[in-house]
Amino acid sequence: MNTREAKEILLLYRGRIDDSNPQFHGALEYAKSDPELGEWLQEQTKCYDTIRAKLRGIEPPLGLSEKILRSQPIPFPRDWSRIGQLAAAILISVSVTALLMKWSEHGNRPVAGPQEILVTGEVLDLTCYIASNLSGPDHAECAKVCIRRGLPAGIKTKSGKVYLLTGKPGDSINAELADYAAKIVTIRGKETARDGFAQLQVEEIRKL
Amino acid sequence: MTGEMSADLEFEDLVKLYYGDLYRFGLSLTGSEADAADLTQETFYIWANKGHQLQKAASVKGWLFTTLHREFLKTCRRRNRFLNESIDESTADLPNMPPDCAERVDSRTLLRILREIAEDFRAPLVLYYMEHLSYKEIADVLALPLGTVQSRISRAKIQLLRRLSESKLPLEQAK
Repeated sequence: MNTREAKEILLLYRGRIDDSNPQFHGALEYAKSDPELGEWLQEQTKCYDTIRAKLRGIEPPLGLSEKILRSQPIPFPRDWSRIGQLAAAILISVSVTALLMKWSEHGNRPVAGPQEILVTGEVLDLTCYIASNLSGPDHAECAKVCIRRGLPAGIKTKSGKVYLLTGKPGDSINAELADYAAKIVTIRGKETARDGFAQLQVEEIRKL
Repeated sequence: MTGEMSADLEFEDLVKLYYGDLYRFGLSLTGSEADAADLTQETFYIWANKGHQLQKAASVKGWLFTTLHREFLKTCRRRNRFLNESIDESTADLPNMPPDCAERVDSRTLLRILREIAEDFRAPLVLYYMEHLSYKEIADVLALPLGTVQSRISRAKIQLLRRLSESKLPLEQAK
């Protein structure tokens, strides 16, 4: 390295801030052995400090910071932990809702074994009743035929609750029920429910 | 980088910490107080809208300077006054200048002389003088290769020193 090369390197040297920068180490060492270069470096560094001080001495106009703060737009939340918390809250909320819905569906399934109950009401041909809201004495003949043919039969209580009537598993009870079509009866049977549908497994029919 | 901060630094703190530096940078780029104030304001406006995208809180200062410089370049393009000038100074022409040449000029004269330096060269030179950024950080702010930044600073600095030594001095003018 000669003096000119060292000068070219040290032209960028700013003093202490660049001391740790290895690109200057060789030239700084060289300057120690060259008094003229050392003097030039000293002047150069002093000149840097002067220019820096003059530039940094420029004051921004009064009120600029207040103006910036006043015109601040509504900031987007840049707090990632808060965004994470919000996302977690949404996720938990959705999960809880889904679980509740699932639980609600499950809630209509029997949680204990079927219970024996007495139900009083009109024997219905469920197909005509659900499809066309047909019931009562005017529909008695149709209901009788439909039930005998094996279409589902039901019983509707005074309160409006409807049960699907079935026999024991594997047995059809339609032939017996057909005789009571559109009549008011009391049925003793085992109540079960699934997916919102109530079912009564007939044990005994009493005509009122 | 100087000015490291916690991730949850509030907008107001950020403004108080950097608006002066940004204004000075803007002023040295534009030479106009009004334009510098606008650039500073615009920079913080952009920060308020997009700053959350910045992952490293430590690089906030660099991000702000980059944004201001980018906005300055946009303004230049809009006004069609972006000049890709070059500087003929060579490091072989290191000036022998009076030791007190910088002391004899005031800030306004210094800014005027800076304005005479081509824009491509002025920005790295200003960052070199005003902010204690490493050369790598200056290169990142200006999106330039490190070698280009150092070369531009060297050439711009020679030109600045030459013009300082040639400039008429306020004291002499008064005499």
